[in-house]
Amino acid sequence: MKDLKYIHFFEDLLEQADNELVRQERESGGVAVGYSCYYLPEALLNCGKAFSVRLRAPNTGSLDISQYYMTSFICGYTRALFERAFEGGMNFLDFYASSDTCQQMVRVVENIRELELISNPRFSWGIIDAPLKLTPHGLRLYVEQIRGHILQPLAERCGVDVSDAAIRAAVEEHNEMCAIFEQIAALRREDNPRVTPREFHILSLVSYACPTARILPYLRETLDELLVRERDASDRWRARVIVVGSELDDYAFTEILENCRCYVAADRYCFGSIPGRQRIPLREDADALEQVCRWYLETNQCPRFMSQEKILQRRELVSELAKEYRADGVLYEQAKFCDFWGYERTLNTQVMREEYGLPTLGIDREYVVRGSGQLATRIQAFMESLEIKKLQGGGEDA
Amino acid sequence: MRKGAADNYRKGTAIARHREWRGWRDTVYDYGQWCRLWGTLIRWLFSHLIQNVKAIFRYRWMFSYLTVPSFFDRLCFGLRGAALRAARNNLNYLARDVTRTLTTIFSADLHLHPGSKKAEALNRRILCFDELLPALLGKGFPNCKTILFQEYPMYLPSLINQHSPVHYISQSELYGLPADVCPLPSFEAGLAIEDDFPKIGCCMLSSNMPCDGSIMTSMIQERRIGLPTQPLNVPLRWKRGEVQDYAVAEILSAIAFLEEHSGERFDWDALRDACEIWNEQNKAKFEKWELNRTAIPPHTGASAWLYRIFEHQAVCGEREALENDRRVNALLREQVAAGICPKTIRHRAVVWNTPANNYANFNNWLLECWGIDSVCEMIDIHGTGLIDTSSRESMLRGVAEMIETSTMRAHTKGGSELMLDDLWEKYEAYHADMILMFDQISCKGVGAISGLFEEGARQRGIRMCTVRQDLMDPTSITRREMRNDVNVFMQTVVNETPLDPSLVDFDDDESW
Repeated sequence: MKDLKYIHFFEDLLEQADNELVRQERESGGVAVGYSCYYLPEALLNCGKAFSVRLRAPNTGSLDISQYYMTSFICGYTRALFERAFEGGMNFLDFYASSDTCQQMVRVVENIRELELISNPRFSWGIIDAPLKLTPHGLRLYVEQIRGHILQPLAERCGVDVSDAAIRAAVEEHNEMCAIFEQIAALRREDNPRVTPREFHILSLVSYACPTARILPYLRETLDELLVRERDASDRWRARVIVVGSELDDYAFTEILENCRCYVAADRYCFGSIPGRQRIPLREDADALEQVCRWYLETNQCPRFMSQEKILQRRELVSELAKEYRADGVLYEQAKFCDFWGYERTLNTQVMREEYGLPTLGIDREYVVRGSGQLATRIQAFMESLEIKKLQGGGEDA
Repeated sequence: MRKGAADNYRKGTAIARHREWRGWRDTVYDYGQWCRLWGTLIRWLFSHLIQNVKAIFRYRWMFSYLTVPSFFDRLCFGLRGAALRAARNNLNYLARDVTRTLTTIFSADLHLHPGSKKAEALNRRILCFDELLPALLGKGFPNCKTILFQEYPMYLPSLINQHSPVHYISQSELYGLPADVCPLPSFEAGLAIEDDFPKIGCCMLSSNMPCDGSIMTSMIQERRIGLPTQPLNVPLRWKRGEVQDYAVAEILSAIAFLEEHSGERFDWDALRDACEIWNEQNKAKFEKWELNRTAIPPHTGASAWLYRIFEHQAVCGEREALENDRRVNALLREQVAAGICPKTIRHRAVVWNTPANNYANFNNWLLECWGIDSVCEMIDIHGTGLIDTSSRESMLRGVAEMIETSTMRAHTKGGSELMLDDLWEKYEAYHADMILMFDQISCKGVGAISGLFEEGARQRGIRMCTVRQDLMDPTSITRREMRNDVNVFMQTVVNETPLDPSLVDFDDDESW
């Protein structure tokens, strides 16, 4: 297929956290809010003049400094964020919104705070305590934490408008972006799809890493282009999979899958589009903040939710996605040293296979995966097994 | 040449050839207490002989309990005077309580009594709690017995016998669990996978304590154990006032869950009585800490911190435990008043981070080999608030705070500043001259701020010795390697010679 018009521009945007659009937005008075977890409602971080940047550390090389401060047994993503901050690559941040949900993640901001790593006089941070199950009092706690530790400091220290009207405006813009993604995601259900997994991953990443208002025009145009895009003559994909797992902001991972002719039909991982790129329904007669928080709690797929209904919800969602996107298998990926996904991957690799009848592969990976031959070998083997199952008649013996 | 302590050890096991000579009075006392322990164990064994023998053969971890006399001896190694008496009192109380609980567990265990109506009836009166949840809340159900579910098959065996976790951790890893996760939840997962948890109880109150790994292991346990389960979600930023309403709401929800499954009404008066006893237990502990701040720290080491953990978790609100505290404190007070220090103390150390379960008597070795007295330990400090029993609301808030500041969690959750600031504060308060920092390699929450400890100690000019360990997995880091970290530090940084050179290097890999 012909390259998308903006794909190289998008790739360039992903080369650094403080990218061109982030710089433009800051220069026009925007307040850059860094975050790294779905527990921080993205839509709320885009209120008023604030704009969210889901934190990444592209082109990570040596992690020597973070190894001293955080040991070598910590997940590569958090170490890379720390290293980038230590090097001065996060000085563009005005606010760091964090959550005490994954302890390794929250330690990044605590190290940044203690070592005063962000050289930006306006810089401050907020850490929320979020519940691990869905209850009315859990929602109350969540709303209060978001209000008290994120919105209030943003308003007081950075002059951000966090009123109900500002939240509604931010959600409206967020929904516009999600509507685009819903249409692009629908293309992935087609035979011989018009969007490749790599392209989709890149689109998803730029939507998280750039100010929504500035990336929207490019996304709109890309959608229009995709809708009329001419497909390749033949379907080159050997199998379709759903990727489920922890934080994944390196599209090189998807490239490896693509090179094995594995089509990522649905992306259920942190930084992916499920959840995160679905429109938030807002009623006029209720508090916008509470509605947004409820949405994020209900749709959150983090394995730290330990109540039975959420554990089942996570598995059911993967099973539904497999049907909806006609996936042949599931790939559970886990960032090395991630405790949450370490357990989730272990258990669900077996549960999805045995109880849901879905061929499932579990892998762990480093933060930077580019050129990982070992990973490619495992994916190829998985592809072969899926092909064999197809030949044998649908994988009943999985 | 004077014989050293290690000259009395059998090669490879470090098990003593004969009992330690501590002078006439202490040796006779120690022997007497050792005989009392045997009495407790023999009484327990014969009280339900067939059931207990079946349990020993059914559960791999039960084997560890057979080595308890040796474990207690290790914890009393080198102790003299009041420290020895305090240790033996604490440990023998622990033995009495644990054997009673094991009897309840095995009497109700459907693995041992499949289809037994009697066992089923007993199970309706057993409330299972996650081991990190203090049993205090269960005191509101005086007709029920609260059992810390993982305490007896996992936590205690990991202390008693260093090899007990190895098989279960291997099972978890064979199941697919990464080897880098903390051995504690991995051990628990292994027990669940092996179906080696006793089949007891009417319901289970799980929790998100102490760490991310524990949250996740409960998913595997819940699936394998099959009891009706409710997670008690304990706030993480527990210092914040605004999270306390949530904590109280969670406790009320847990009470409703326990009422539903036990068929019992919650008795607030019974909870009040237990809270008042717990407050007295806590006050007794405060006194012990104060005594350890003096020039003669009368009781330090695992027989103090292990007892504290057990008291906070399992026997909080128990009058018998309080009586033991009072007895022990009287002995300690007496020694401090007399100005007698029976040991050579060269250094006063604050020991930070979770200790290694697989080397519980590490403190004894520190004192005997290098004269390093562990005057303050992080693991000893938790649940320090007194519960205001004047109203239900205040009592609930007090219980919530006690749970929030449970073992390990009081420091490892709530923000890095809690663990950091308290360390520098304790260093001053206990007149310490060094810090012994455990680098628990699989503890990610603490590992991720390890640089801050290093920097903080350097800025303050504090001597800090880092000791690597893996909580309860001796296959990652052995006891010998832990000792070596201290030896290298003391010899090359502090330039000291050991008090007992025979203890510098010996092989105890095969020891329990």
